[in-house]
Amino acid sequence: MADSITDTRTDFWRRGIASISAGIVMVCVLISGGFVPARASEAQGEPLSTRSDTRAFTDETGRRVNVPPQVNRIVSLAPNLTEIVFALKQENHLAGDTDFCDYPPEAAQKPHVGGPVNPNLEEIVKLHPDLILATSINRRETVDALVRLGLPVYVTDPHSLDEMIASVERIGSVLGAEKSAAALAENLRARLADLDRRLAGAAPRRALFVVWTDPLSSIGRGTFVADALRHAGARSVVETDTEWPRISLEEIIHLQPEFLVFVSEHAGDTPGEIEALSSRPGWRDLDAIHQGKIVFVSEAIIRPVPRIVDVIEQLARGLHPEAFAALNAPSAYTQPAIKEACACAR
Amino acid sequence: MRPLTVRRLLWICGGLAAVLLACVVLALKLGAVPISVTDLVWNLGRVAIGRSDQLPTEYRLIVFDLRLPRILLGILVGAALSVSGASFQALLRNPLADPFVLGVSSGAALGSILALIFAPQLPFVTPLGAFLGAMATIAAVYFLGRRGGELDSTTLLLGGVISASFLSAIIMFLMTTLAGRDLRGMVFWLMGDLSTPVPPGLRWIFTMGLLVGIGAIYSTSADLNLLLTGEREAIHLGVDATRVKLVVYVSASLLTALAVSASGAIGYVGLLVPHAMRLLFGSDYRVLIPASALGGAIAIVLADTLARTVVAPTELPVGAMTAMAGAPVFIYLLRRGMR
Repeated sequence: MADSITDTRTDFWRRGIASISAGIVMVCVLISGGFVPARASEAQGEPLSTRSDTRAFTDETGRRVNVPPQVNRIVSLAPNLTEIVFALKQENHLAGDTDFCDYPPEAAQKPHVGGPVNPNLEEIVKLHPDLILATSINRRETVDALVRLGLPVYVTDPHSLDEMIASVERIGSVLGAEKSAAALAENLRARLADLDRRLAGAAPRRALFVVWTDPLSSIGRGTFVADALRHAGARSVVETDTEWPRISLEEIIHLQPEFLVFVSEHAGDTPGEIEALSSRPGWRDLDAIHQGKIVFVSEAIIRPVPRIVDVIEQLARGLHPEAFAALNAPSAYTQPAIKEACACAR
Repeated sequence: MRPLTVRRLLWICGGLAAVLLACVVLALKLGAVPISVTDLVWNLGRVAIGRSDQLPTEYRLIVFDLRLPRILLGILVGAALSVSGASFQALLRNPLADPFVLGVSSGAALGSILALIFAPQLPFVTPLGAFLGAMATIAAVYFLGRRGGELDSTTLLLGGVISASFLSAIIMFLMTTLAGRDLRGMVFWLMGDLSTPVPPGLRWIFTMGLLVGIGAIYSTSADLNLLLTGEREAIHLGVDATRVKLVVYVSASLLTALAVSASGAIGYVGLLVPHAMRLLFGSDYRVLIPASALGGAIAIVLADTLARTVVAPTELPVGAMTAMAGAPVFIYLLRRGMR
């Protein structure tokens, strides 16, 4: 076998080399030819930045964004942004959102562009957006790719309730909905201030916020949920910089939280499942389980959206019933109770 | 072995190139906005004569700025992965050798995660980190695999497997402790993903690196044939074994690093395509290298087209598609080869 190869080797190369180099050159031309239109079109790909009537904004990650004077076709790349667009009553201008945009229910009817982490760029382009809203759960590569296509992308990055409310106001002015944004922000701030007043004297409850039961995971110090808990008069027993830490049950037994807070979509949302949980080793040793100090909250609490204030109010009632006992009537700012928000298993 | 003639080589490559072209046309047609072939030909013609400004904006953005670059990237990645797989298999004389078994993809992933932690603001930081990580892993595995001054293929393979699990453990550690913004997409990327367009500045680097790498490996293909029959025999026939091994090792690492930094960890292609090509066209590396390049390109273009259309608008990671389609094909080829 080896001999036949060596025999034909030199001859093969002499004749072969010409055709192969021709092939390589052809491949080169083909590939670069394919990439050239993509490069050349970049100059014309940013019609918005060259237009004089655009409004310039600096988004929450410090990027410059040129937005057309009238935003008519919004594509939202995250469920919380979709909710904010609906809260600002701009849903008629929402051209598309993600697979995970399920609130309000009408959001699910909009054309979807895929998930927040892996949106389909072709679908986004197909919707002819004049503004794309993105946030911290989206990948930076996605934002960069959209910008290269000449599309304006406004990125939000709230880390607390105050920043979320400020973010709603900024999105309001980008979308040209300053009025409803200002009214919404004022309502949210007033309700949070009202809560702070009511809970001023109460000692914060030591709570365990359960994101998942298997594996047991909770929230970190810097998260949005931690801030929401603070406003509801609670303090997370878990102190860590990780956003969604996994915790050992041992640690929780050692910490003995006063209250367990479950997210209804993620953890057991029926009392039956808590029943099952309370018979499991480890869980059954928790004082909070014995005393039935368990609160369920809507999963809106892990979304930076205006609706979170409803959840905080319900959570505060579950954790500090005495602070609300004196005034049974809902406070002046409270909106009609949200059905799914809370069920106290006490 | 049938004697290889230039005519046979050209027939095989021409046939595979025709199949690839058909796959590219199919891939260009399918997607969020379906496009007819006549339209496609017309518009490709317009672009070819420099009239791309006459195209509708949406069409231009979708087909020429998103779909075509993605297909071309898939071609590059597929060719790079399967050529490096084929050459690792020859180098280590081990049919299981593959860039992923050798720990290169884990190294690249760790490199890009570290880059994102330490310098998230730099441009191109993810591919650059991946590239450095892949090269560093290859160097480490190479030194692990040396035994008494000789490269021992079993030790090398074991070193690769162990490095891969060690690096994966570090990745898991970093992912659980440092849940920063840009690490979120990493999970997707680890499964192999072509959905993120490569920045224009990097496209030329990828193309050039690929051509240099494949060219270097191809120039040693006759020597690789001899090396496969046994290293001592090859040296007796005048092959500079050390030089050939070094050239192939460095070029195959470069190809893997390029592919992984562009698209994450797409598995099975480097293992499967060379095997399939070997069964179809024989194990002569002068045919196997170009056939693997084209076959890998076909495999990735098809897999990626499926990945972006099967559950549209949601996209699947292309790595999941290659594994799903690859494993049964592998078993089929294996059983057919045994009979």
